[in-house]
Amino acid sequence: MSAGFLLIHAKPGRTWTTLLSWTLFALGIALYFYVSQARHRDNPEDRVMPTVTQMARGMFDAALKPAEDDEAQAPATTFTQRFLGSMLWKDTKATSRRFFYSMLLLIPAVLLGLHMGLFPYVGAFFLRFVLFFDKIVALSLLPILFIAFGIDELAKIMLIVIGVTPTIILDTFNLTRAVPAEQTVKAFTLGAGDFDVAYRVVLKQIAPRVLNSIRLNLKAVMLFLFAGEMIASTDGLAYRIALLRRHMGMDVIIPYVLWVAMLLFLVDFGMRLLNRQLHPWFRES
Amino acid sequence: MRTLTLFLLAISAFAQKPAFTVGWSVYAGWTPYYYMNKAGILRKWADKYGISIKVQRFDYAPSLDAFVARNIDACAMTNMEALDMPAASGVPTTVVLIGDYSNGNDALLVRNGLQLKDLAGKKLLLVQKTVSEYLFDRAMTINGLRDEIKRVRLVNTSDSDIATAYLGDTSASAVVTWKPMVSQILKQKGIASLFNSSQIPGEILDLTVVRTDVLNRPDGAGQKFAKALAGAWFEMLSQMHTDKILAAIAEGSQDTLESYKEQLSTTKMFYTPQSAVDFGASPGLKEKMALVRQFCFDHGLLGANTKSVDDVAIRYPDGSVQGKPDRVRLFFDLAYMQQAAQGKL
Repeated sequence: MSAGFLLIHAKPGRTWTTLLSWTLFALGIALYFYVSQARHRDNPEDRVMPTVTQMARGMFDAALKPAEDDEAQAPATTFTQRFLGSMLWKDTKATSRRFFYSMLLLIPAVLLGLHMGLFPYVGAFFLRFVLFFDKIVALSLLPILFIAFGIDELAKIMLIVIGVTPTIILDTFNLTRAVPAEQTVKAFTLGAGDFDVAYRVVLKQIAPRVLNSIRLNLKAVMLFLFAGEMIASTDGLAYRIALLRRHMGMDVIIPYVLWVAMLLFLVDFGMRLLNRQLHPWFRES
Repeated sequence: MRTLTLFLLAISAFAQKPAFTVGWSVYAGWTPYYYMNKAGILRKWADKYGISIKVQRFDYAPSLDAFVARNIDACAMTNMEALDMPAASGVPTTVVLIGDYSNGNDALLVRNGLQLKDLAGKKLLLVQKTVSEYLFDRAMTINGLRDEIKRVRLVNTSDSDIATAYLGDTSASAVVTWKPMVSQILKQKGIASLFNSSQIPGEILDLTVVRTDVLNRPDGAGQKFAKALAGAWFEMLSQMHTDKILAAIAEGSQDTLESYKEQLSTTKMFYTPQSAVDFGASPGLKEKMALVRQFCFDHGLLGANTKSVDDVAIRYPDGSVQGKPDRVRLFFDLAYMQQAAQGKL
């Protein structure tokens, strides 16, 4: 028992597992409180590490007070109305819209990867270029992006496209190549056409893995999106963070960062559910 | 053996000297710090006062963060940031050197011959909540267009990309930024300057500030630090008239002599300590700071918890206080510049 405690054969009980999994959260929060308290004792006006009350108030204002730049509209009364007119909702909406468009643009990337993997001519045409393109550090091309696509939505979405799609294309390509050749041969002998094989045999099989690969790249998408919003924009979650940073509004920044983390987690969770719904046969091996 | 002992002694003596750090970022009026450090001027003055001073280059925003977090003791910043970053975060801050004011370095540029009154509904690129927005605010106010301000579409744009963003996107009608970006943008045909900081002289001040608690250290080393800074600073400025030295300073920002000279031409440097003292003692300073602090308050830069503009008070050299006397967070102290003027350092 004692020797097996930390080893491979250990079987921690349910209580232990729960306890252990929350320990680091508790430690992190406790550490934050401790340092924040110490800083506030030292300087009651400290803005670097706001207290929980300050953050709660900051978030409350962000979520329920009307966005500052809106002209005075009809005063909102209900909770939902107030939330829908708030800075937080406005920023979330703007960021989500960009996020959604970039996700849509990943669909052609998946299709391209599939075709590159299956059709030798398409592969020959694209592969080398995509391999090269994948290594370009998108952020360093910003000035060109601005000149080519302006400073509006398009430039931000293109930044994500340039940053993330090559990875997705190459990943799909590799997944496609990994499908056993016997299966395509078999499909052909059963009378399938080229596109039947592509879409109904190969794509179907790699779909869950492709979804997983997109899930893993969510953070990269978000990083590029944030970079774009911080560089030039009029709204969005990262825009707000960039603005607040200018006068150390950490009481709103920290809740914002947690909010973004939660949204990302939800998207990830949603995609995992979707994956399980669509491909119940799929078991990660 | 003897040399080793001496060496160790020297090290321990060095280690015991009170050490201070001053942070600066690239700007025509602050790049002299690079040369002061490199040419040993700062070291000479630090040695005179028995302290050691480290100079560190930052990007502007991180230098402010470091100062607020108390990681550095002194920092080069504008009057606006001194008020809305350290002072408003409860880090009492003392202005020990008034280096210069922007006299055309910051400008509002437009394309297609637009006028200020045409800007409503148009896109304006700028770094929001900084002196750029202050300049825009003042330009509109002075021209009686205060009500139009809200109707201009401000696009928050990072200063490192603002020049290409503006030149590349013709749908952006106007831009507010500072040199060297201004010079770069003006080279393009069809772009004109509508307003610049020489029309609001003395409102955008470039300062060297020291944390008040450092300045008032019980061992007196803080005072020595400020004196050494002032001594070195004005010795540096008195040398800034030969091309050789200017070129060496420009090197600190990877700039050319021509470009640096061009930037200096729109920077009103206080080359002599007396001129800096005179400016600091003038009643105009209070009027200008009143405008700046009102702007900061109106834009929420003093923090969400600051309910009144008077909560972050400023004390002037004559002892008068703008705001609540028990909440003084920013001090203007002319003593060090005065001592430099009288040759008492």
